[in-house]
Amino acid sequence: MSATIPAPVGRLRAVWDRPAVRHGLLALLTAAVLLFPFVEGDDADIDSLANAAAYVALALGLNIVVGFAGLLDLGYAAFFAIGAYVYGVLSSFQVLPAWSPFWQPFAALHLVEKINQGGGDLVHFTLSFWLALPLAAVVTAGCGVLFGAPTLRLRGDYLAIVTLGFGEIVPIVARNTPYLTNGAAGLNGVQAPHLFGYNFTVQATPYYYVGMALVALLIFTSIRLRDSRIGRAWMAVREDETAASAMGIDRTRAKLLAFAIGAAFAGAVGVFYVAKLQTATPDMFGFPVSVMILVMVVLGGMGSVWGVVLGAALLSLLQSWFLPDLSEWLHTLGAAIGNDWLQQIDLARSIELIFGILLVLMMLFRREGLIPAARHAPSLDFAAQHVQGVQRGGFDGELAATALALPEPGRGNLLEVRGITVRFGGLTALNGVDLVVPAGGVVAVIGPNGSGKSTLFNVITGLVPADSGSIRFAGAEILGLPPHRILAKGLARTFQNIRLFANLTVLDNVLIGQHARLSTGAFGAVLRPPRTRAEEARALARARSIIALFGNRLAPRAAQAVSYLSYANRRRVEIARALASQPKLLLLDEPTAGMNPAETLELAEQIRSLHALGLTILLIEHKLDVVTQLADTVIVLDHGEKLAEGRPDQVRRNEEVLRAYLGRAAREALDAA
Amino acid sequence: MITRRSALLAASGLALLAAAGAAGPARAAEQVVKIGIDASLTGGDAQSALLVKDGALLAIDEANAGHVVPGVKFEAMVLDDGTATAGQYDPAQGATNARKMVADHNVVAAVGPQMSGVGKAMAPILSWGDLATITPSSTNPDLTDPKFAQQYRPAGKPIYFRTVATDAFQGPNMANYFADTLKVKSVYILDDTGAYGEGLANAFQAQAEKKGIKVLGHDKLDPKAADYSAVLTKIKQLNPDSLYYGGVLQAGVKLAKQAYDILPHEMPKAGGDGLSGPEMLTAVGYPANEGWYSTNASPHVTEDPAAQAWVNRYKAKFNVLPDDYAITAYDATEVIIDAVRRVAATGKPVTRSAVRDAIQTGKVKTLQGVVSFDANGDIEDRVISIFQIHHDPAYPADDMIHQFKYIGVAPQS
Amino acid sequence: MTVADVYLQQIINGLSLGAMYALLALGFTLVYGILELINFAHFNVFMVGSFVGLGVLRLLGVMPGAPALAGVALVAVLLGTLIVTMLAAGLLGVAIERLALRPLRNLRGPAAMITTIGISYILLNVVLLSLGADSKNFPNPLPSWTMPVGGAVLRLREVLIWLVSLALMAILTWFVQFTRLGKAMRATAQDAEAARMMGIEVDRIIIAAFFLGSALAGAGGLMFGLYYNFTSYIIGFTAGLRAFTAAVLGGIGNVPGAMLGGLIIGLIEALGGQLVSASWADVIIFSILVLVLVFRPAGLLGRVAPNKS
Repeated sequence: MSATIPAPVGRLRAVWDRPAVRHGLLALLTAAVLLFPFVEGDDADIDSLANAAAYVALALGLNIVVGFAGLLDLGYAAFFAIGAYVYGVLSSFQVLPAWSPFWQPFAALHLVEKINQGGGDLVHFTLSFWLALPLAAVVTAGCGVLFGAPTLRLRGDYLAIVTLGFGEIVPIVARNTPYLTNGAAGLNGVQAPHLFGYNFTVQATPYYYVGMALVALLIFTSIRLRDSRIGRAWMAVREDETAASAMGIDRTRAKLLAFAIGAAFAGAVGVFYVAKLQTATPDMFGFPVSVMILVMVVLGGMGSVWGVVLGAALLSLLQSWFLPDLSEWLHTLGAAIGNDWLQQIDLARSIELIFGILLVLMMLFRREGLIPAARHAPSLDFAAQHVQGVQRGGFDGELAATALALPEPGRGNLLEVRGITVRFGGLTALNGVDLVVPAGGVVAVIGPNGSGKSTLFNVITGLVPADSGSIRFAGAEILGLPPHRILAKGLARTFQNIRLFANLTVLDNVLIGQHARLSTGAFGAVLRPPRTRAEEARALARARSIIALFGNRLAPRAAQAVSYLSYANRRRVEIARALASQPKLLLLDEPTAGMNPAETLELAEQIRSLHALGLTILLIEHKLDVVTQLADTVIVLDHGEKLAEGRPDQVRRNEEVLRAYLGRAAREALDAA
Repeated sequence: MITRRSALLAASGLALLAAAGAAGPARAAEQVVKIGIDASLTGGDAQSALLVKDGALLAIDEANAGHVVPGVKFEAMVLDDGTATAGQYDPAQGATNARKMVADHNVVAAVGPQMSGVGKAMAPILSWGDLATITPSSTNPDLTDPKFAQQYRPAGKPIYFRTVATDAFQGPNMANYFADTLKVKSVYILDDTGAYGEGLANAFQAQAEKKGIKVLGHDKLDPKAADYSAVLTKIKQLNPDSLYYGGVLQAGVKLAKQAYDILPHEMPKAGGDGLSGPEMLTAVGYPANEGWYSTNASPHVTEDPAAQAWVNRYKAKFNVLPDDYAITAYDATEVIIDAVRRVAATGKPVTRSAVRDAIQTGKVKTLQGVVSFDANGDIEDRVISIFQIHHDPAYPADDMIHQFKYIGVAPQS
Repeated sequence: MTVADVYLQQIINGLSLGAMYALLALGFTLVYGILELINFAHFNVFMVGSFVGLGVLRLLGVMPGAPALAGVALVAVLLGTLIVTMLAAGLLGVAIERLALRPLRNLRGPAAMITTIGISYILLNVVLLSLGADSKNFPNPLPSWTMPVGGAVLRLREVLIWLVSLALMAILTWFVQFTRLGKAMRATAQDAEAARMMGIEVDRIIIAAFFLGSALAGAGGLMFGLYYNFTSYIIGFTAGLRAFTAAVLGGIGNVPGAMLGGLIIGLIEALGGQLVSASWADVIIFSILVLVLVFRPAGLLGRVAPNKS
């Protein structure tokens, strides 16, 4: 149970990265899984693996919620319970309505049968296991949406405790509705699956194969989802909800989808588990089960599909194989040396203690798990960084045209902000601000710190609500729309304090920028029809071209996590991400902050190139020379009010502006110059 | 359980311990026959479960020591259906245990489970696995009722046998005692929502109503809740003559304690065999438990002079006095051992199916008398014994024989 | 007993439960106020506290079934047990903070909360594995003094639980309002960064919050044992979740809110058991938790939480 083994893992990863090795190992694993029941004669061992399959499947489902979308769900077992009871109730002797001709057609479909327990004829539900799997998945997904819709907007820790409450409520309801669930005593005599007339009864091997097939299906689904538009949206929400939403992701929808898919996984596993155990009691689905699944995900690595498979399999087998065997050997040892205590020891009972210790140790020493999810390229070494001089990349010509695919700029005013007022409690951040950005123009907003510049951007992009006023974009009102809808209309932004998805790669960040321009949904992501493949290929090509616009600043680092990049490069990635959304209007919040003069110059040139290609730009900037160089119009804000507006040279000479913005000393300095 | 997967484990760096395992006592040439034992060893009934488990183990040890079946060495596979989560028996754990027994082909029969709620989960699995079990204490009648055959023995043959009577007698006979001997006019009924508790309370209620006792209410207790004062306050307001509780000890212990604080001390309070456990003495404590009635669905044997030698053997081996369900567990194991003996004597292989048939036809002299089963697996002799807790300071506080005073056999309807 | 008497009795029961939940809720609120951390370990610090109380009483020779104490002996035994239990639980809380939580303090995301779940599991299982799953008889040194209140009955244990809770809450309020450390705690809860810049040692504040919160949980655990005359490894989860709900209901991070929330949850449990059924009490309580968080996350007395992003 060593928690920290980075070096061997690193070497393993290098091997793993070769596709031949990966495919070979996968084939080997598949063969081992298929052949195991023929090699192993002991039904108990096969049964343990079938149970392990159920836990692996559950962990894969929770991984979508916790690992991919970053929603800490402490009541995941509730969905497991709902799936279990759907099948349990519809295939046991619990609910037995009186027989009537109404049921005749159902009997013909083998969904019910007529029985007699003394007294009159009764209806015995006999829903097929194979129908129950998808049915329960759909029902639990629905429950996931119903429960998630009001709660998923809560902050992370509140969400955790709300899901915990939900996880407690479901078993209590099951306990308190005995006519449906037989209460605490549980459902008895749940029907075993039949396949072509063959009854699984209590044999181990058929369940083993069904469980393994379920796991294979869920691994496949997880990987397909992860490597898709949907998966990228989840990870964006996990990394930074606000930025995700500003980049066109409907965060509520993304979260609900993760919740529903995770719930569907649990529902299907519930059916499998109950069919195998042939009973369902409320205590099977309590908090400890939710925690156990969480431990499996944490041990394997949150967000890592194969890690979670490994973590769940290890812990499940630890409980059913390793600890009992170890206890057995200790008993033998105890008998040999005549030690009573050793002969009594039962290590399997300490499994929850081990779970607790694992949770703490993993959090303290190896939060990324046994097989970390994020697998970025290492930073460039010194030689790689200096192999060529800096190439700035080009904005002219074919590359830029294909990469940007900008929409037509249109005519007239692209953005009209009228009388916007924003108050935070007693503080008025913006007071009746007007602003017009003509199509094809470059407008700069300047003003001292706290003058309301960033608030203005936040209002325009829908992150902050306005108390009054109007914002029209290309003639249509956008005030009150959620951020992702505003982005979809063609406004993209960067943030003053850089809000990239820090643990994702440069390439992923830029791909996420395209979210609103792509259309793949959950089904498309999993099934990958030709349309989806073509869309992904196009998106990837576009992302690479956009990265190429920044020359060898970004291109060699496309596979690195952005958190490893320099400050200037992170700014460039943020602009690239915004460009990826094919905006009509680009809002840049202090794009050159933190850059040295050479880098500033380079970026200013790039912005000018963007403008030359037809992009309209609204920019917040402190460096007056940049403003003078780029902007047609400058707007000066002070204390939330517009102080002045005009050409840069006019504004530079405006007395009021100079007083407010530069102070007296600057005025004197200017005069001296 | 050292199987092929041990190789896997040895490879994972545990070779040393594997070697210790291999160096253990060599297996004799005898055939190993395993008897599963399932009891609720974790949670509220742990002490009662221990008495039952030890009763079965004693029979197995004695059979091995006396070479009762030549060429056969009996081994116990002890399984615990109690979980920390449930705080008492957990039917799902019982189902898991049943699968474990079924998966091990050396297990030819089982003793248990202790609890009916577990029995209901185990029975269908045991039925498919063709594995007979004899329960020393689970009394819910549904399990052996032919009406529910499709549910509890889907494969056909009876596999659930008992060395105790069922709640079809335990509940009603106690109701008779309430009406005829204690002469109560009204009762309030509680149960612990378990299969056993609910069934017993319902059976009691039906007979009580038939006998003209007014049932003022029937409430359910959540066994995991800490506080029953709300419902007890409600009962106090209704002021019934008596209280009856169907359920096991997790809720029972807390109920007895809090009832002592809230209800009149002289009000007769009773439960079924679920309360006939050491926890009523140790965890409730005196004087809160004083005067509580309980029943056992078996004859009272531990004070039978003929059983004293056995009681002493039990005490010597486990350092605790047995109760009557330790005896029914011992008897159940004796029936299995006898069945194996008879199968082995015919020269046929000792299989589950053969052992089941032999149990069905057996007539075995045991501590409680001759045990034989009807066509459904129920014991033919049905006796309900009544006890009342009365503290006798001369004996240890947890003395099951002397602190539970035997009152007599409950009147049959 | 008339119907009115029954409700009076249930209110007495509910106030006793509520006093216990309030003690426990204060610990959640102190830690959350400063660290914005939901401390799941708190559940089982409470449970461990009740076992410590049991152990101390036994050491003092108070065994289950022993005759009740009276007068000075009673007060000395209770006070001594209370102090030792609170100290032990408080030190346990501090140890948890130092060993497992401090290294994660500045980490974004759920790592610290997951760690507290792990610690909670460790505490629970250490008690379970070493002392067993059966419920333990808790000695009762209190004389069986009762006082009729209308048709209802007030017992000494209820009076005790009220007095102890009130006294502890009064001390805590005084501490938070008037002492240097208490004022520093409030400042840190408002704005940790500013407090640090003003020279407040945040480490000390956090330790104090864990010590006080855990000590109160220990007192709660002892009260639980004295009130119900039993304890078990399992008591932490249900009581902890109810107390957490109380803290949220009152406004998490808000000290008077935790007390008010505790009383409300206690009354809901007792009266809900009378009106509906005790088995639905938890559903009612958790529904309140969900509804409060969704519709009024600041709780009854809390200020609207600043939108920290």
